[in-house]
Amino acid sequence: MVDRKDKGEGIREEFIAEAQELIEGLSRDLLVLDHAQQQNAVDPETVNNLFRGVHTLKGLAGMFGFSKLGQLAHRIEDLLEDLRLGRVVLNQSVLDILFEGVDTFQRLLAEAKNPEEIAEVDIEHFERSIKALAVNQKSSSDIIAEYEIDPGVIAVLTEYETHRLRTNLSQGITVYRLHLRLSLDVIDTVLKQLKERGRKVAEIITYLPSMSVGPDEMIDIDVLLASNSPESELIKVLDQSESVLSVIQRRTPHVPPPAPTVTIPEKRDAQPVGAAIEKSDEPSGDGFAIADRAGDPLSLRSVMNTVRVDIRKLDHLMNAVGELGIVRGALGRALEKMRDVPGLNTLTGELRRIHRSFERCLIDVQDDVFDVRMVPLGHFFNKLGRIVRQVARENVKEVRMVVSGSETEVDKLIAEELADPLMHIVRNAIDHGIESPSERESRGKPIAGTLAINAYQKGNHVVVEVQDDGRGIDPKRIKQAAIDKEILSKEQLDEMSTSELLDVIFLPGLSTAESVSDISGRGIGMDVVKTNLARLGGMIELHSEVGVGTKFTITLPITLAIISALVVEVAGRTFAIPLSTIQEAIKLDPRAIRTMEGREILTLRGTTLPICRLADRFGFSRETKRSRQFVVVVVHGARRLGFVVDKLRGQQDIVIKSLAPSLQGTRGIAGATDLGDQRLVLVLDAPTLLDEFAATSRTNLLQESLS
Amino acid sequence: MLTRILIVDDSSAMRAFLRATLEECDDLEVQEAENGFQALKLLPRGEFDLVIVDINMPDINGLELISFMRRIEKYRETPLLIVSTEGSEQTRSRGMALGANAYLQKPFTAEALQKIVADMRGKQRGKD
Amino acid sequence: MTHYSSRFSLVPVGTGSFSPSRTPASASEIKDFLAFALGEEHYALPLSSIREIMKLPYITEVPLAPANVIGIISVRGRVTTLIDMRRLLSMSELQPTSKSRVLLVSKGDEVIGLLVDRVLQVYRLTDNEIETASTMGGEQAAYVTGIGRPALARKGEVIPENGQQNARFREQLAQTVDDSIGVEILILLDPDTLLQM
Repeated sequence: MVDRKDKGEGIREEFIAEAQELIEGLSRDLLVLDHAQQQNAVDPETVNNLFRGVHTLKGLAGMFGFSKLGQLAHRIEDLLEDLRLGRVVLNQSVLDILFEGVDTFQRLLAEAKNPEEIAEVDIEHFERSIKALAVNQKSSSDIIAEYEIDPGVIAVLTEYETHRLRTNLSQGITVYRLHLRLSLDVIDTVLKQLKERGRKVAEIITYLPSMSVGPDEMIDIDVLLASNSPESELIKVLDQSESVLSVIQRRTPHVPPPAPTVTIPEKRDAQPVGAAIEKSDEPSGDGFAIADRAGDPLSLRSVMNTVRVDIRKLDHLMNAVGELGIVRGALGRALEKMRDVPGLNTLTGELRRIHRSFERCLIDVQDDVFDVRMVPLGHFFNKLGRIVRQVARENVKEVRMVVSGSETEVDKLIAEELADPLMHIVRNAIDHGIESPSERESRGKPIAGTLAINAYQKGNHVVVEVQDDGRGIDPKRIKQAAIDKEILSKEQLDEMSTSELLDVIFLPGLSTAESVSDISGRGIGMDVVKTNLARLGGMIELHSEVGVGTKFTITLPITLAIISALVVEVAGRTFAIPLSTIQEAIKLDPRAIRTMEGREILTLRGTTLPICRLADRFGFSRETKRSRQFVVVVVHGARRLGFVVDKLRGQQDIVIKSLAPSLQGTRGIAGATDLGDQRLVLVLDAPTLLDEFAATSRTNLLQESLS
Repeated sequence: MLTRILIVDDSSAMRAFLRATLEECDDLEVQEAENGFQALKLLPRGEFDLVIVDINMPDINGLELISFMRRIEKYRETPLLIVSTEGSEQTRSRGMALGANAYLQKPFTAEALQKIVADMRGKQRGKD
Repeated sequence: MTHYSSRFSLVPVGTGSFSPSRTPASASEIKDFLAFALGEEHYALPLSSIREIMKLPYITEVPLAPANVIGIISVRGRVTTLIDMRRLLSMSELQPTSKSRVLLVSKGDEVIGLLVDRVLQVYRLTDNEIETASTMGGEQAAYVTGIGRPALARKGEVIPENGQQNARFREQLAQTVDDSIGVEILILLDPDTLLQM
């Protein structure tokens, strides 16, 4: 065992970091499994991933002397072993044990991090629950022996691989051997690709390296895979040149090949892998978006290929890169000046080349740094899924969680800050919002309540909506509670509109629950949620209808972002427009402008493009008409709008900085940026400008707002 | 004499521990592979004097790697040490039958690892 | 010899928030004020409320911003709102000159720039020299705490050593102060109330 004192903190940290990642991976896999079980489409690989994760965790815990963690992992591993070998059938009780197990791992790890946080764990309780499960000891004659498989191959298969081989064969699924000859240089990348492609149509049972390494550094590999797809299709999907695909045949020709009817799986949770995966690949409007993106590359290896970095270090890096951008700008300007100095041509040319490659590198670095900080919200929604499950179970309520937009990425810091408010809202929704099954039934609602979580990006912000179809928040009850708790006077409350009354729940000291349950009653209130969000420059809004449901909308800035922008001039002022919102920039032909219902339009490739003169929009005094102007076409959703500008100064990468709080209400401005000369340039919030433009022209207020 | 060691284990903490423990010994050089694919790539290039392999790894498992090595002339004699959490006698005997030279079951102490590696080096030296 | 170049050297001074004192000071109390001019009128803010004095940087106009806001400036990379004191006090606007200065003051967590015509000097006023708003006749704007009447014509008032402001700030001041103007009346302002507007 590792002596924790001797081996120093470094290895211990390694252990904690890896254990944390393993547990997070388990948590994700478990959600995928839970969902798959409900759909009767369990992917054996998910179970195997879980097994492998717990197995590794057990090994680590043993090595690093965390005996409680090790013991529990051992019990759970045994259960997963039975599960993956088909000795135990996946059902609700098994899932419950697994969920509880992963929660307990988490608590034990917290104890490992901080020994003062002692986790009370009853290992025997797990043992008892596991023992209570029915174990089915299948004693089927070994079908593998009936097939032409080299005993040398059988000898190296693990028990699990043998089991998968047996299961596939007994279900009449064809097992193939794909023979590959690979150069050592590419072996890991090719096999990785093969794995990615293969999993769409087949279950890869194992890879068997074989034959000798010749002088040309080639290795022969046999891949055992099971698939219902025809040979031709497999060859197409796997797309391997110089490979040989052959079917593993039955030995005894007397036994007829299994009739097609036999191929229907007996157990519903043992469907062919291909089908299960295709299902989860569908862009699912309902159901777990977790399964589509986050669920795919869930092999433990991908989880372990990560490094944990203190976010502050990334901040430093980000700032340093920002500074580099300023240096680049200064260098560019110096080069401009040098161009006019006679006798420096050669040197200038050389410097210019260096400058260009510097620029390219910098762009890469900026992209990478930015990217490193961004995490998809899916990670976090996974955790939320567990809370939903747990809270629903404790409340004896049925809750269907529907997630969309889990691919929406936010800065890691923002994601972390989002955690508490969101958990609180979700707990509240299940605890107080969604009615009990019987109550729902009597109201003619579906028995299972729906909790919809929807995330999307809007300008520089990420929006997360949490919506339930529960009983809604009754303004009358808020009013009564506010009077009872002496938060506001009756007179004050009487003057309030319904939406103002709803906002009272964000005041300190108010809870609408008639009985404070131990779930959402513990800890923070909505006032803290609101304050915490405001601290991050975010906000929270509430809509609710009695009997129909409640919707919270949280808006947060995505990050301090480096973005590409088009720099333009309007009436002598410089502005930056984020490139991501721009479709194109064209020269304005004044003769092509037409007027429709009081607004100017252009016809662009056969469609109508309303145009907005930014100088007018911003109230700049109109200069003498320029001979040449440009139209920057911005898109937001289905809408398009052309901004008329005087000059296009080119594309540049910028760091958006937010305006100070005193100016944060300024509409149409996303922030400011320093182009490298200590002069600030405003960054336009094109989506907002577009929305406003649409709104004002709809109500014919355009002319008024311009005057 | 310098001993070059290849560690094949999918757990990074485990690899870190093995490396730290081994590097306390003299004349050792350690390389790591986090999976079988990588091991296949590193093996022909490394001239390893000892390969330490975990059994339960995704894709190419430890047994497959051992079997592969023993079927190839170049690696037939390379000392192989299994470090595994697998407790079953079956796994152990299969590993040894495929040609591993020693088996160390996790959890083990740093001293146990150092001792077994020293023994294996001694045997190797005796052969040379 | 100083190393104070023409580039703005922006050294933060005074970290804690100041507490404007509208309560009458005790007889022995002495307060320091930074006096500045807007046209012919002379105003003063408590010295402790001023974090920095800057020469005028490049101002970026913000369309559709509140009327008192002249634009934004970059203070060490931080986007800072700049308020025109003339607009704030409903005076006619004036193009900035080489004597214009920005006073950086705190408002909550935010640092705000105040544009003034010129900075005069630091006045150390005793209670006897301050006429508090409560004793003044007539209606006073809420942001006026009183009227300072320096008893003596002060040439080159000593810059106090005791404040939170560091040596660099004193240097900024020394560079900026203009004691050529004799001041009879100083309108003393309360920065918090002022910035509520």
